[in-house]
Amino acid sequence: MSDPIVVGYTATDAGDDALALGTRLARASGAPLEVVLVLPDESRNAIVPPDAGYVRHLREQAEAWLAGAGEKIADAAHHRTHLRYAESFAEGLIATADELGARCIVVGAANGGIRGRHRLGSVASELLHSSDVPVALAPEGSRLLDPETALTRVTTFVGTRPGADVLLEESVSLATAASVPLRLISIETIDLPAGLDTAAIRVAGSEHADGVLGRAREALPAGLAADAVVARGESIEDAVGAAAWDPGEIAVVGSSRLAQPRRLFLGSTAAKMLHELPVPLLVVPRTRATEGDRR
Amino acid sequence: MTAPEGTPLAPATGAEAGGLSGKGLSAGTVGLIGAIVIGISCIAPAYTLTAALGPTASEVGVQVPAIILVGFIPMLLVAFGYRELNNRMPDSGTSFTWASRAFGPWIGWLAGWGLIAATVIVLSNLAGIAVDFLFLLIAQITNNAEIADIAANPVVNVIVCLLFVLGATFVSYRDMQTTQKLQYVLVGFQVIVLVVFAVAAIVHVASGNAFDATPIDWSWFNPFAVSSFSAFAAGLSLSIFIFWGWDVTLTMNEETKDPDKTPGRAATITVITIVVLYLLLSIALIMFAGVGTGELGLGNSDISDNVFFHLSGPIMGPLAFLVSLAVLTSSAASLQSTFVSPARTLLAMGHYGALPPKFAAVSPRFFTPGYATIAAAIVASVFYAVMRFVSVSVLTDTILTLGMMICFYYGLTAFACVWYFRKQWFDSVRNVFFTFLFPLVGGVILAVLFVTTLIDSMDPEYGSGSSVFGVGLVFVLGVTIIALGIVIMVWQAIRRPAFFKGETLSLDAPPSARRRRQTAANRSEKP
Repeated sequence: MSDPIVVGYTATDAGDDALALGTRLARASGAPLEVVLVLPDESRNAIVPPDAGYVRHLREQAEAWLAGAGEKIADAAHHRTHLRYAESFAEGLIATADELGARCIVVGAANGGIRGRHRLGSVASELLHSSDVPVALAPEGSRLLDPETALTRVTTFVGTRPGADVLLEESVSLATAASVPLRLISIETIDLPAGLDTAAIRVAGSEHADGVLGRAREALPAGLAADAVVARGESIEDAVGAAAWDPGEIAVVGSSRLAQPRRLFLGSTAAKMLHELPVPLLVVPRTRATEGDRR
Repeated sequence: MTAPEGTPLAPATGAEAGGLSGKGLSAGTVGLIGAIVIGISCIAPAYTLTAALGPTASEVGVQVPAIILVGFIPMLLVAFGYRELNNRMPDSGTSFTWASRAFGPWIGWLAGWGLIAATVIVLSNLAGIAVDFLFLLIAQITNNAEIADIAANPVVNVIVCLLFVLGATFVSYRDMQTTQKLQYVLVGFQVIVLVVFAVAAIVHVASGNAFDATPIDWSWFNPFAVSSFSAFAAGLSLSIFIFWGWDVTLTMNEETKDPDKTPGRAATITVITIVVLYLLLSIALIMFAGVGTGELGLGNSDISDNVFFHLSGPIMGPLAFLVSLAVLTSSAASLQSTFVSPARTLLAMGHYGALPPKFAAVSPRFFTPGYATIAAAIVASVFYAVMRFVSVSVLTDTILTLGMMICFYYGLTAFACVWYFRKQWFDSVRNVFFTFLFPLVGGVILAVLFVTTLIDSMDPEYGSGSSVFGVGLVFVLGVTIIALGIVIMVWQAIRRPAFFKGETLSLDAPPSARRRRQTAANRSEKP
């Protein structure tokens, strides 16, 4: 798998989380790592007088940060660093990812949050509703995991939403590239509050859940080690927490972006899952379906 | 910073590298209107005039229009020098870096200190004005005049003021931006309200309802009619304050869409707009209120530190809240653009080792000079809080001190320009004017103003009449600030001598090189 992995880097803990996860993913799939730091474009500025000296200083500082990131990766993965200017961090990342034909974008999910408390940062939020490449969220503390830790498993949350095939395709390709087993999970919750947009990952009724898993399994290529389980619980947190998690694995979930345009995809569900998930989460957009032959 | 072999750390090669250099310095993003809007919001005419009109009228009487016109001259002359330096050495440290290059680390340090002091003072003054107008606005909207008086309670005043500074710090630290459209609307609103305010005052005069109708006279425009040189100098240093900030339009260069034309045009249009506004308003308000010390007279020390606050009601009636809104938005925008100035200079001083390296820290999340921003905010807050309790009329005294500090560091900058380019003075006729004559004359005027103000301000009756140990508060402030600067400088020189030995910023004077001159001249031919 040679499509590069883009890491949205800042010289913060969240940035180091992203860097660590990116490195692990790159090592697992043999992809090159593209470390990207996005600086704000001065053109959005309407009050503060522009200052060429400060812009230069900032660029030198950013280059030093990127060099520091490169040192952290060292020989762990083949990598390059990029300094970009864009209106927003997310915008710059998406543009770079498109340009490089990236496999996914990795960012730190915590974004300055307190340790042990996951919270979707503004960059992650913006990425999640505007990115057309998969976005991997590195939970707070990812940087503390040994970068040598191999990817041990890919776990995919399957539901009935249209586009599940793309989700599966992505999971299979990741699992194959990393030569690790795939696990399929359907979440089944009791007493779901009305109006919660969880259909992307939820199926009602256990026979339904089994059916979904069965169909998903059938679609899997032969030779891939796969396991299918139903996670049950009072709530999403409960169900996610009840499932067994391996420190080295990554979870994959589909986006409902096209189904709900303009809406912050997954929203509370993603936040809830992130809160419970002790592992990184890869979010796969539906748009791949229309651009399926891009590779 | 040793990267593994074979992994390019520089921005990627090929197409992306071109993208970086193209976008790197964000060349060509500011258009003519954008530059004018930035210029006007940096000057913040509504705020500036309400703060400076009273003190100026107290000093020079009805000759305010003359002083405004004359005050523009040294500003323009120094701005030319500022532009030359900025084209040659664009650097966040501006005056600090340039003066260090021309005169060495000690004078450079003091110039940087002067700039920081001036901007910190103006921050506290801005926030102080904003507090007054916030309460006034609430009073006007709720029709409860007593609320406006709450602003006079020093404790409430200081607390609200600190909240304002906190808010501005937060916005600056996180680099939150208003959209360009909103900024255009705010600036447009500010200008329109000021014009309406002036017209309303004149209408009152015409209909005989003025407080102290003063017929306009040509002598208002005659600077020689000012009673004494001291008054003239004091007025002039105030009118330098009202144009302060205008130079940014001149120094925007590679950032503009058309570097040959935009900066010159933007600066011209901005300054014409500002001068017309200032003249219109000062004439209208003098016609309406006179310069006496009566209840609404501009010379009344009770109202002179914030004249719009006291005059908007009598002049605009029920629409007075528009003036409050205009001043508030003007202060808010200015608070943000002003914050950048000391923060960037502190950053540069930290960067070159003139201050602890912490000051050079850039926030890794928001890409702003975070530490320096917070440091500036804390100093501004403390300064305001202390002044509020020490001074009878805090705003007037801070504005007078501010005028003095601007003369100090602008003067040094002007001389830095003259000295730095000493080998190139006679390379061309253009250089004779822009690197020698203009900044020299501007610098001399500012130096004279600085010294005159300093001597005059020893009189305890100077400014608001506040005094410490029988010496005028403005003098005490000015001298304390500079003395404090020297103390910190010596301390830093002991702690980190590298900068003071000229190891980080060396003395320099570009040689008279024909080829080099040609490129420089081509780049900024247009005056």
